[in-house]
Amino acid sequence: MNREDIEQLEKVTGKIEGLHREITLLAKKSSSDGLNSFKLRLVNGALAAANEILGDEHQPVEGFTQFDADDVPSNSDVTVVLAVYLEELERYRSDLLTFSSGIHWYVFDDNTKLRAAEPKRLKGK
Amino acid sequence: MGFFNLPLISPRLTDFHGVYIPQADLAFAVPHFDEDIPLYLDPFLLWASPSQQDQALHTSLINAFNQLGDSYRRGNEDAAVDTLTRASECDEVGLGSSARRKGKRIGEKKAREILELFKRIPQYKQAGFRHFEEIQFFVEDISKDRISDIACNFLKSFLIDFTIDECQRLGIPTAASNVPDLYDYRQYGFSAAKGIQLPVNPETGDPLILVPKRWLRFTPWINYDDYYRHHCPLDEISHDPEDIGRVEVLAYNRDNYGAVERYIVEKERTFSDCANDPLFSQIPIVSAKRKLKLIQNLKTGKTDNADRDYEDALCQLLPSLLYPQLDFAAAQSRTESGAQIRDLVFYNNQSHEFLKHLMDGYGSRQLVFEMKNVAEVSRDHINQLNRYMTDTLGKFGVLVTRHPLKKARMQNTIDLWAGQRRTIVTLTDADIAQMVELFESGQRLPLDVVKKKYVEFTRLCPS
Repeated sequence: MNREDIEQLEKVTGKIEGLHREITLLAKKSSSDGLNSFKLRLVNGALAAANEILGDEHQPVEGFTQFDADDVPSNSDVTVVLAVYLEELERYRSDLLTFSSGIHWYVFDDNTKLRAAEPKRLKGK
Repeated sequence: MGFFNLPLISPRLTDFHGVYIPQADLAFAVPHFDEDIPLYLDPFLLWASPSQQDQALHTSLINAFNQLGDSYRRGNEDAAVDTLTRASECDEVGLGSSARRKGKRIGEKKAREILELFKRIPQYKQAGFRHFEEIQFFVEDISKDRISDIACNFLKSFLIDFTIDECQRLGIPTAASNVPDLYDYRQYGFSAAKGIQLPVNPETGDPLILVPKRWLRFTPWINYDDYYRHHCPLDEISHDPEDIGRVEVLAYNRDNYGAVERYIVEKERTFSDCANDPLFSQIPIVSAKRKLKLIQNLKTGKTDNADRDYEDALCQLLPSLLYPQLDFAAAQSRTESGAQIRDLVFYNNQSHEFLKHLMDGYGSRQLVFEMKNVAEVSRDHINQLNRYMTDTLGKFGVLVTRHPLKKARMQNTIDLWAGQRRTIVTLTDADIAQMVELFESGQRLPLDVVKKKYVEFTRLCPS
């Protein structure tokens, strides 16, 4: 693991969080409405990047890689999938962390360290 | 040519000749071979048009009409009556409400009555008409179709040029045709023209003339009903509403031209509100949602005419949801093994890649949507639609019903694909709801839902 990997991971997570936040608003307005092709392209782009990082081991939804525009996915379909991806990305990130001196760290191949946020599932515990 | 001999449902000129362009993208109203288009040429649209060409055509139209009056007043009565009679019907354009594309000319008496206006009403005697639609206010039995036909006849030479241009542009075949009544401005009269290259009605061999859709309205801007309801000084005619009939109003107008003139001035002043009517207008979103709700609340079966209500609601909903990708052709009923079946037929314009795929893969020149308000689709229902899917309808059909198909019925449709490469997809209440949702939001095309169902179906088929 090197710094670029973490940067990539954070970038993709940020992207999916943003999409999730916005599409959740649309889903609240009308859950069965379809997502237009532009937004769908954005979502698929983010999912492809996430799939590459997560690999087979951390595949969030079995047998699913991307949305097919022909299926006319609805706002709520997309929200659910993005939420599952966010969970899995966080689980993947947690697995990378090293805990020492009461702090979570990313430890890189060149033995440098970077302070990391604590895993979300531990928050408030 | 054999390809084109297949019977289309409510055949149109363009589809018949393999020109697959939606009505919305064409400059003219596409004529139907077996019925008229329920719109009328409104001369006021030419007057109000910003185009100098249209205004000039209006001027020549009015000149031609006033010339008739002039000639009548100068003693050439029989010739003027004959010309007006010949001008009173224009079958080539196919506008109006006739189901057979054939109309009747006015009689000699009626023509004389119209031309008498040039003698009877001083304003017309001196200055002629500014809008010849005004004859509706003085002569009985003159309505929008007559106004439209007279205008078409005086403009026919231009319309023929327009038709030839459009046919050349689109590659619609034409044939040397005879036009019995063509107005000649040099002779102020009609003469027969031979050998004009026009498209023809394949059933009758009669020539067809196209009309720009920018000139068409359901009712003329200047019309009797509007005058009667909002402008006619009824109190001056009689204080007893029972006594005010059309005849009384017309008689009053003849002696009180001022009332008509005020109306015309008012209509000219508000000309910017006068627009052509579209050949098809979608129902508003609110109304689409109401129809959806009605469908969702209906019981399945025939109780309380639920089947009829279901079909009626879909007949109004689907053409709007699928416009402009699919032009609506007809809602038609047929009977098969004693059961009444209603379906919606659309022209396949191939204006969307999915529709093009249906044409290439299934030979669907028209698409059929069969409606079934049943709790459960039976094997018979599927067979009925399957038998219907022939020739122009191709091997693709849509079954619109309330609930998803049961597993066994789904298997029937898959078997049809496996055995005969025919595809039947089903639209349920949930799909219609999604189509309405997309219609409202505009995020995707409602047609995409039909495509989705098709893609889902093909995934189930053995590869």
